[in-house]
Amino acid sequence: MSHVAIADQEAHLHHPKTFIGKYIWSQDHKVIAIQYASTAIFVGLIALALSVLMRLQLGYPDQFDFINPNSYLQFVTMHGMIMVIYLLTALLLGGFGNYLIPLMVGTRDMVFPYLNMLSYWFYLLSVIVLLASFFAPGGPTGAGWTLYPPQAILEGTPGVGSGIVLMLVSLAIFIVAFTMGGLNYVTTVLQARTRGMTLMRMPLTVWGIFTATILGLFAFPALLVSAIMMLFDTLAGTSFFMPAIVSLGEPLEHEGGSPILFQHLFWFFGHPEVYIVALPAFGMISDVLSVHARKNIFGYRMMVWAIVIIGGLSFVVWAHHMYVSGMNPYFGFFFATTTLIIAVPTAIKVYNWVLTLWRGNIHLTVPMLFAIGFIFTFTHGGLSGLFLGNVVIDLPLSDTFFVVAHFHMVMGVSPIMVLFAAIYHWFPLISGKQLHTGMGKIHFWGTFLGTYAIYLPMHYLGFLGVPRRYYALGDSSFMPDSVHSMNEDITLAAIIVALFQLVFIFNVIWTVCRGSRSERNPWGAASLEWHTPDVPPGHGNWGDKLPTVYRWAYDYSVPGARKDFIPQSTPEEDVDYEPGGRKSHET
Amino acid sequence: MSWTQIFTDKPWLPEPAGEVPLIDSGHPPGVIALRMLLGAITILFLLFFVTFIERSQFQDFQALAGEPWQPFTDSLKLWVNTGVLLLASLAIHGAAHARQNRVRVTLLVASAVFAIVFVLLQISVWQFLYGLGYGLSDNPANSYFYMLTAVHALHVVGGLTALAWVTQGLLTGTNATAALRTCATYWHYLFVLWLVLFFMLTRTPETYAIIAAFCGLG
Repeated sequence: MSHVAIADQEAHLHHPKTFIGKYIWSQDHKVIAIQYASTAIFVGLIALALSVLMRLQLGYPDQFDFINPNSYLQFVTMHGMIMVIYLLTALLLGGFGNYLIPLMVGTRDMVFPYLNMLSYWFYLLSVIVLLASFFAPGGPTGAGWTLYPPQAILEGTPGVGSGIVLMLVSLAIFIVAFTMGGLNYVTTVLQARTRGMTLMRMPLTVWGIFTATILGLFAFPALLVSAIMMLFDTLAGTSFFMPAIVSLGEPLEHEGGSPILFQHLFWFFGHPEVYIVALPAFGMISDVLSVHARKNIFGYRMMVWAIVIIGGLSFVVWAHHMYVSGMNPYFGFFFATTTLIIAVPTAIKVYNWVLTLWRGNIHLTVPMLFAIGFIFTFTHGGLSGLFLGNVVIDLPLSDTFFVVAHFHMVMGVSPIMVLFAAIYHWFPLISGKQLHTGMGKIHFWGTFLGTYAIYLPMHYLGFLGVPRRYYALGDSSFMPDSVHSMNEDITLAAIIVALFQLVFIFNVIWTVCRGSRSERNPWGAASLEWHTPDVPPGHGNWGDKLPTVYRWAYDYSVPGARKDFIPQSTPEEDVDYEPGGRKSHET
Repeated sequence: MSWTQIFTDKPWLPEPAGEVPLIDSGHPPGVIALRMLLGAITILFLLFFVTFIERSQFQDFQALAGEPWQPFTDSLKLWVNTGVLLLASLAIHGAAHARQNRVRVTLLVASAVFAIVFVLLQISVWQFLYGLGYGLSDNPANSYFYMLTAVHALHVVGGLTALAWVTQGLLTGTNATAALRTCATYWHYLFVLWLVLFFMLTRTPETYAIIAAFCGLG
């Protein structure tokens, strides 16, 4: 059976006739992508609001009646978990993965559309279960997003009753949803590519999403194992992770469990999770940079190798999150070494992005601004990671604001910059309308400068030893007054950045309701998704006949060609070269 | 095309003149998806096993076999369950290779019945253990037994859903051969997984010590 037959199978294509079939119980990858993205952005806005509440407490301690030590810890926990899992993972893979894979590889839909639909509804269920914990007795869990036992399930931690159970159940449902979606993404990429779309002609976006999905399929089981075992410890009184504990003079029923075991399981998932978010972001930013610099991506093959190598290495670095948990020094040495090694392919990618811009025809469009912004934030976040990857430097910095600053730069701001770049870039394809450029630029500068105003000072706070996750810092002697005034400033910056996101939301609503139609391919992109018969693409994507691919996705500014891009579906004999034009890319 | 060839391809070169070849792996998509799924399930259970072996070396761990009074020193009940699951596996194997639709459906139903009986028998083993005073939280060995057999049974129940879908396809005349073979592979996998579980859960403390030492966890 050939891939193209699979890509083109009409029989597999669901043809809905009713509104509900088209937009609610839809099996169309584009509708599912929008469902995923809308839900993820909705829940992400909740997490954003939670971060503002946290900052209010840190900037203006004890000024707000609705924030107490318990609720503060609940905000921290829910903010972290929602952002990492329910926003970033869902939006990058469920949203962009769903939308772009079939269009970029030239197929009519995912290979298993029904499973794809189920994936979204399970995801929605996981979000509902998670949000239900806000209304449960005792509220959501306040155990920190890492949910470390024993404190996660001990009295005294907020949400110890139903909050932690709902969190664990929600994660288990999310993993089921991810697996259903992930099987689709991998199989579609491997099996349903159109004629001529070899693996090495795929855009880096697809490579990033494909590799990240494989990471997810093999890393999420670790989270599932820890969630199941902790559910047993919580509900059935088992002692997988729970050691013998005396609480208020009374021994608890648990005995002999290993909390460190949970940490190993959690981070065996947790570190690949960083790359589950980062690899699709790497891929998408490569494509955005290339299109808006009118230049082929520098070192395409090296970029693919780097994605695959980073994916593999991400499974052997997990214990660098556990240097202070106590481990054999040789272990620390091993994990510090692997952590530094993973910086090599990552640095190659950064160099290649910069070299893509080098002597390119840079268009400072809104997506390009966000893409360049990403190079800055990612480099800064990556460099502070080199500090924390070394055991001796990590020990004093662990559990300080330096760590908060590091992972927010590398894992928070950077993927968000990519998401905005991607939204501004692909919005004309998705909606047929182009987001307003002026509002987009205001949004970019507010977000870019604002996030620096938030996170650069946090590095300094970390150097001073200001601890993270503390409700109140009090009057400790090692903290000068500047810590408190700096916290106020960071809070102000956070509120301003949050307000700038309203510009983006307004821009989206205004463009959808009032915006005029954009050109078919406003950025002049060569990749396949921009060359569907209809924009936005119709059901089945490709009309009567699937496209044939004759080249890679990066033929920009080809010497001798009259147009500055050659679509992937254009055969060489149809390319309009100037008379005597040199076809240097053949050599 | 080998992986080496794929990764050393030069995509910036234009397509040579002539017919653009089809991209063909020779596998139906279900096979690829199943392989990925089985990979994920394998990692799931592998991680369970790693935690199990580590926990088995803690002082409070009392293995379920070894001494005459322990429940699985004589594991006849589990052997019976193994036989039933083997029958489920054989039945679906027969269904996948049968030519007549009627025979296929009959064997599929038989396979589903055997699988349901297996799950019921596993529940009866839980009752047997509980009746002997081996409660879920009394000892980590008990906890692992209940938990791992439950997670395995959930995978069997998931397989039953797929089986129902394939049976419906066969009854309505859809060509479900590929799906049936995929289901059969999953069923065989669950049988092998059960054998590994059976082995892991019914060893003596000495065997666990050897495995732990081998894994560097002792």
